[in-house]
Amino acid sequence: MSKPYSLAKGWSDAKTIAFLTLDTLFWSKKTIFVGLISLMVLGLAVIGRLVLSYHWVNAPFTSGQVFSLLMSTAVVHFLVVFVTLFYGTALISEEVEGRTITYLFLRPVPKGVIMLGKYMALLWTSVILILPTVFLSYLILYLRADMNPFFQDVALLGKDLGIIFLAILAYGGMFSLLGAWLKHSILAGLIYAFGWEGIISYLPGFTRKLTVTHYIQSILPHQDALGALSQLIGRRTEPMEAVITLVLMAAFFMATGCLLLREKEYVLEQ
Amino acid sequence: MTPVLEGKNLSKWYGQVIAVNKVSFTLGAGVTGLLGPNGAGKSSLMKLITGQLKPSQGEITLFGERIWNNYGLLHRIGFCPEYDNFYERMTGAEFLAALLRINGFSEADVQARVASALVVVNLTEARDKKIGAYSKGMRQRIKLAQAIAHDPEVLVLDEPLAGMDPVGRHETIRLVRQWGKEGKCVIVSSHILHEIEAMTRNILLMHNGQVLAEGDVHQIRNLIDKHPHNIYIRCPNPRRLAEALIGFADVVSVRFNSNGDGITIESRKPDEFYARLPELMLRAEIDLDEITSPDDNLQAVFHYLVK
Repeated sequence: MSKPYSLAKGWSDAKTIAFLTLDTLFWSKKTIFVGLISLMVLGLAVIGRLVLSYHWVNAPFTSGQVFSLLMSTAVVHFLVVFVTLFYGTALISEEVEGRTITYLFLRPVPKGVIMLGKYMALLWTSVILILPTVFLSYLILYLRADMNPFFQDVALLGKDLGIIFLAILAYGGMFSLLGAWLKHSILAGLIYAFGWEGIISYLPGFTRKLTVTHYIQSILPHQDALGALSQLIGRRTEPMEAVITLVLMAAFFMATGCLLLREKEYVLEQ
Repeated sequence: MTPVLEGKNLSKWYGQVIAVNKVSFTLGAGVTGLLGPNGAGKSSLMKLITGQLKPSQGEITLFGERIWNNYGLLHRIGFCPEYDNFYERMTGAEFLAALLRINGFSEADVQARVASALVVVNLTEARDKKIGAYSKGMRQRIKLAQAIAHDPEVLVLDEPLAGMDPVGRHETIRLVRQWGKEGKCVIVSSHILHEIEAMTRNILLMHNGQVLAEGDVHQIRNLIDKHPHNIYIRCPNPRRLAEALIGFADVVSVRFNSNGDGITIESRKPDEFYARLPELMLRAEIDLDEITSPDDNLQAVFHYLVK
């Protein structure tokens, strides 16, 4: 008779699966692509710094304003989306295509735990790849003889990091679900990220509340042009409500993903 | 005896394609060879047995429990897939250890089991080498190691000899037989007949998604009345032997060999024929040099059944 499956065993199994997945996620061609996007963000930070230092633009920009612009556009709406899209959709689909999923499915663990373990790997990979870019951007823009702005805006940096983590959580859940569900999940993910999210969140009415972007914009401490546009169309959601909604969205995507993985048959092509 | 594995009216189809068609079987301890040409439905049946696929119709049970989505049963199953796919960056030992950890073994147990499984498949020296750098035969053996490392009661091996060198094949055949003798329920598939024959006489013969025959090769052969059993007898005086045999009702035909050193007879009841042959030889004073049955192998059984 098999032992009942405990929460502790589930956590331990999810960690083992996460470690197993980390290696395959990190050492893939995607990491090169993500590295290039990160370099691009850093490049923008360097340009911003040069603009600030050499007064290339005749406008009173501060480091904080350039950093805010970088976070709300290049990082949250671009880097986070691409990292979670590429890695999230690959979590299950690559193992199915690579036919290594058999080794996991033939172990005495619920399939939901496999999904959760892989999602944990996605969160770690995304954090490892995105956070250094954010820190480095902050250093590039703020390091100077006068360190007052650096320390004044540390709280802003902390808030940004929290928002980035929430975005990873929600987008990661969505793209993991797509990866477990669809064969051409990366294409579906691109359509979702830059079609649905990109258009619906700027339309008036209730539908924009069905996007991750809307809730992220609601808690961003700084406004980009698109955020300002969306505010013209309708009110932001209260910050606490937005945070809870993002966490619930991630939980919903994951629960659906777990259920899907449990019920779906993966027919591995010969 | 309680059957280990039982399939009742089991079917599996993918859209319009029927992979397994109303298959029923009962398997117990010992080695069972799953035999059939490519596309016969062997791999689909193995995936149904291991719970990777959900039956479209019918039922399959392992130790009396349904398999699909029953993860608690999976510690009792070891599966060696046909695919040559791995986590290439891992070493053989890391690969086994990771899977054993998911199986729920303690760290000390994991290490002991990794070492033991690697000894069984003769990969100890390559334990710290990355799987990506393994030869085809080594990859096949590490696949076998992950199937046995947790000591399951049921082993499902899909084409386990593919890509192995002769020594590796010989050793794997020996291991499969040994696991069968130890009381494990071993299901091994192949489309190469002599491989199965070397491992077991107990077969499940598949063709076009259906089980054509199940049981001992010899018994299956005896059941085929339309195709009498061929027996080749080499003796110094084949003409006299032919005269002695021709009167028996079960003897359908007698053919003289082209070089004149023996005869090939066709009998509908080979067991009865073999039982009376010694007395007959003594009575007719005929010496016997050799007696073989060219039909009594899987090639012949398969040929007759699918024809």
